[in-house]
Amino acid sequence: MSAPFESVGRRVPRLESREKVEGRAQYIADLYRTGMLHGAILQSPFPHARIRGYDLAEALAMPGVHAIVTGDDFAEPDRMGAFIKDEHALAKGKVRYVGEPVAAVAADTEAIARAAAQAIRVDYEELPALLSPEEAVASTVHIHEEVEQYFKVFDAGSQGNLCSRTEFSEGDIERGFRDSDLVFENRFETQAQAHVALEPCGALAEVDPQGRLTIWSANQSVFRVQACVAEALGIPMTRIRCLTPRIGGAFGNKMEPHVQPIAAALALKAKRAVKMILTREEDFEMVRARHPFKIRIRTGVKRDGTFVAREVEVLLDCGAFADDSPGVLGFGLLCARGPYRFPHVRCHGRLVYTNKLRFGAYRGFGNPQVSLAGESQIDDIAEKLGMDPIELRLKNILRGDDRALGGQMLTSNGLKECIERARDASGWASAAPVPASPGKKRALGFALCGHISGLLASGAIVRILEDGTAVLNVGANDIGQGSDTVLSQMCAEALKIPLENVAFVSPDTDGSPYNWGTTASRVTFMTGRAVVGAAAEVEKKLKQQASEMLECAVEDLELVPGGAVAVKGVPEKKIGFFEIAKRSHWFAGGPIIGSHSWVYDRPTLDPKRAAAIGLPFPRIGAYSFSAIVVDVEVDEVTGAAEVKRAWSACDVGRAINPLLVEGQIAGGVAQGIGFALVEEMVWDGARLANPTLMDYKIPTTREVPYELHPIIVESHDAEGPFGAKGVGEVGLVPVPAAIGNAVKRATGVRLFKLPFTAERILRGMLGTKQ
Amino acid sequence: MDTGLFRPVSVAEALALLARLPDAKLISGGASLVAMINARLAEPAALVSLAGIEELKQIAEAPGGGFRIGAMARHRDLAAESRFSGTLAVLQMAAAQIANATVRNMGTIGGAVAHADPGLDYPPALVAADARIEIAAAAGRRRMAAAEFFVDWFTTALQPGEMVSAVHLPAARPGIGLYHKFARVSGDYATVSVALTMVREGSAISTRAAIGGCGPTPLMLAEANRLLSGDPTAEDLRRAGNLLQAAADPVDDVRGSAEYRLMLIPRMLARAFDEARLHAGAAR
Amino acid sequence: MSDTLHVTIKVNERSVAFDVPLTETLLTSLRDRLQLTGAKRGCNQGVCGACTVMLDGVAVRACLSLTANCEGQSVLTIEGTGADRAIAALQDAFIEAGALQCGFCTPGQLIAARALLEQNSDPSVEEVQKGMSGNLCRCTGYNKIIDAVRTAAGKLHA
Repeated sequence: MSAPFESVGRRVPRLESREKVEGRAQYIADLYRTGMLHGAILQSPFPHARIRGYDLAEALAMPGVHAIVTGDDFAEPDRMGAFIKDEHALAKGKVRYVGEPVAAVAADTEAIARAAAQAIRVDYEELPALLSPEEAVASTVHIHEEVEQYFKVFDAGSQGNLCSRTEFSEGDIERGFRDSDLVFENRFETQAQAHVALEPCGALAEVDPQGRLTIWSANQSVFRVQACVAEALGIPMTRIRCLTPRIGGAFGNKMEPHVQPIAAALALKAKRAVKMILTREEDFEMVRARHPFKIRIRTGVKRDGTFVAREVEVLLDCGAFADDSPGVLGFGLLCARGPYRFPHVRCHGRLVYTNKLRFGAYRGFGNPQVSLAGESQIDDIAEKLGMDPIELRLKNILRGDDRALGGQMLTSNGLKECIERARDASGWASAAPVPASPGKKRALGFALCGHISGLLASGAIVRILEDGTAVLNVGANDIGQGSDTVLSQMCAEALKIPLENVAFVSPDTDGSPYNWGTTASRVTFMTGRAVVGAAAEVEKKLKQQASEMLECAVEDLELVPGGAVAVKGVPEKKIGFFEIAKRSHWFAGGPIIGSHSWVYDRPTLDPKRAAAIGLPFPRIGAYSFSAIVVDVEVDEVTGAAEVKRAWSACDVGRAINPLLVEGQIAGGVAQGIGFALVEEMVWDGARLANPTLMDYKIPTTREVPYELHPIIVESHDAEGPFGAKGVGEVGLVPVPAAIGNAVKRATGVRLFKLPFTAERILRGMLGTKQ
Repeated sequence: MDTGLFRPVSVAEALALLARLPDAKLISGGASLVAMINARLAEPAALVSLAGIEELKQIAEAPGGGFRIGAMARHRDLAAESRFSGTLAVLQMAAAQIANATVRNMGTIGGAVAHADPGLDYPPALVAADARIEIAAAAGRRRMAAAEFFVDWFTTALQPGEMVSAVHLPAARPGIGLYHKFARVSGDYATVSVALTMVREGSAISTRAAIGGCGPTPLMLAEANRLLSGDPTAEDLRRAGNLLQAAADPVDDVRGSAEYRLMLIPRMLARAFDEARLHAGAAR
Repeated sequence: MSDTLHVTIKVNERSVAFDVPLTETLLTSLRDRLQLTGAKRGCNQGVCGACTVMLDGVAVRACLSLTANCEGQSVLTIEGTGADRAIAALQDAFIEAGALQCGFCTPGQLIAARALLEQNSDPSVEEVQKGMSGNLCRCTGYNKIIDAVRTAAGKLHA
């Protein structure tokens, strides 16, 4: 490395800060069109019922109503679904959960649209409702009667109410347990968590004079919206353009469609723009949530603490539609071994349809759930062996040539450093820990994790404008995590130009290169690599131009800071980008465009090491790591646990923007605290009982510690752009286990069910049945 | 005109409007009512705003001690009321823990009290403070003990056409008042709350404890208060907790199960009592 | 007899006349009639704080205020704070500290922070946590917001 970086590594405030603090940022609800209509949805009152017919007469007759759509407006084959195509835009033939969209109205005002929606009569014939995976798997009543005929992108093994099944194995699990000195088995259960992005879901669909659909929406991928609308409406993608306004958080809720296909169908039918913004209650009831997991985990170890065998079995509640669930099952199982050496592993599980809201992508994607199980059990194993829980982990973590589950190579591994820095910063080994306040018990707790950032496809296009500045076009949405800024920094760095000379283009399916989505902690790594690749192509072309202008060989040239190409060692002999741009536009070579697109291509599985059944994603990798210590106090009267301090060390390869990396770590920890202690979607029979912010609580300023210390570890990944990997999820994943371990160490109570409410902890302390 | 927003300038005018428009709703701070309107749980065609009635906004010292708190007094002002000392601090503490600073700018004691949500912070505090609710009716004003005012879930002793005009606090007595609240997160309604006043005159201690969140109305028992007064032993304290626990009738909801609430009653009572006794300077 | 009420309110120093239904909230009027979309609808129940505006100098929830009930009052939204020294200091501090990510809660946070600083010009960490507990954020974990508020406080009373 010669000169230090100018952009990469700098704590640059996010590029769109000014507009956000001045209230000028435009989110989907802030978009208005002259003459636009408002959409409203009629939701299903039943968890499972056939739709016999609709009576739209009263609704259609209401003044101000322009169009109504029902399941009849969508063709039977037109189904969407990321892994299994099982979902129409609106309920068709059947309703499968209370709250499911059944019909939608476009009207002059929101009030009229809502009133008209309520005036739609639907003739239902109720069917038995299956409200738990156990009930569903045992029932002859099938939620998706044609599940075996649905198109699937992988070998799901769908049958009856079994949506998919997946299994990974390495070594010989039975032999592994036989070789173990001690075997531990526990069961854990996790709850449904709601995303609660501050911005509810919404869309604005309009039809242009050519009859093409333009769809703005709160989304994590304009390309997923485009594909899903194409599938759900049965129209070609060339007739659909998807764009993105500013997005008010997502966390997985906006990765797959919500109301976009419905708004689009209304716009086509009404021939007017239609805006549809969900209420907070609808956002809770209608969209998606984190999968409840039931986990059985069995781990065999040697007396000296060496890990030998681990078996993890999971049962997932899929909800009414598959959505991203097969991916969550598969990814959860892939993470269930943890970033440890286990010669013998078997991770298997089932995903079962139920008549509840669909469960889908949510920050962590199955890893927080399995990490709760694995990291809690390891602490108990340490206690049994008389070992420090961190020492036990250090003994077994992946290092050197060790592979991830399945056989993935680790292209960088800062896990040990994460562990040591979190441990040392927290004073873990101190002989004099911070005493508990009166009436409280207090202890530190630890947990760690690995998580991926490489999967599926991304592209980038960089163009040099006539004045020598650059335009960066990537198709990756910034959902608040700061990717616009980070990618711009990478582009500026690669071209050695000031950050303000890079214009960042908002994602648009018409003009942007494909990006699968902003999810899975992948944008820094995947799209960043594409940006670096595109910039490299631009560099090549700039040098080609310069070599002609300076009459020298391309190999003798280098980019120099400020936007110029110079002869190596002869800085006076240089040509600025402006001059090159002029020549390229008007004289020779053509305007300079560089592009790069790629799909993550390292196989998940090395068939010489591992076997898999029902692998939902054949190529996934690029591991980041995290270790967290939490300092927890438990109130002896109420049982309430409070995180007083936290140290989260995350290996991000390289922090392109440390300010934004800290923000992602802190936000992940906060959302993990909510998942661990307080948040729970509660069903009262088939109906969601707490679909409001009065009843479903997320952490406020008083539940997240101010002393939340993000610690950035940089392992310089060989394959990451500037060595960078993802950070979006690693902050959250180990939090529930760390808190559970702290509670155990403070009170002696081991909890097996999330959330660790005050009630559960108190019952544990009193020894009463949970 | 029978619809629209009315702005009376006196209580008499407000009552006359309520008599003329039986479907009209009163609006003070608006926080609860507008939330219901937004959720389409209420669709009033007429509203009577109390914001223009001066007497309702005053927090006045009563001759002979005590306070008359107008129904329009905001949570924010009660939370900052340094004149609520001694036993009256129970009300100041309760007000300070309602929701959050912004909502406290809007909400009023009259609106909260008339709404009678059992998760609210005022009801147990008012019962422990031995407050009296002033009700204005066409026939005149009357006062009622807080304990009698809260009748059932979201139900008070208000008859149609009546309104809460003020809350009366007795003179502060030497001692302490405190309000302990357990909730899932800051600003949530209480799962369980304990409002406790402890008067210390010489060596005599007289305690009133009211439990919130554990039934349709705040729970206070004379027998429990008797056990908590004088010079209670640990056994007295335990029996008082058990009595309250046995008399409580909490529900299961997302804030906590009924069983958990019952568990909390004696535990939180003990903590509140010990803290009160410490600050009131008792011997044991 | 019409279904709407005629109401005159000062919004960001300008007098504005509305004809609104009785049950229309100030949030709806600001956003849909005046395109002042800085105040956001996050829950419509007064819990999330994204709709916080100033009404007669006091921070309130626009989603819980009825426009018809604001006759003669004065509303300040984030769009009207251009000349406000406290807001300017807070905005700069939020930007520098990284106290915003998606930005949806940010206008409400700024208004609430301004109200806090008016009451308490030098708040401790705990006082900021208490004073701003009514503004939810799902992105930041709050600690950078707390830092930004205290930095602005320092600058304002330097």
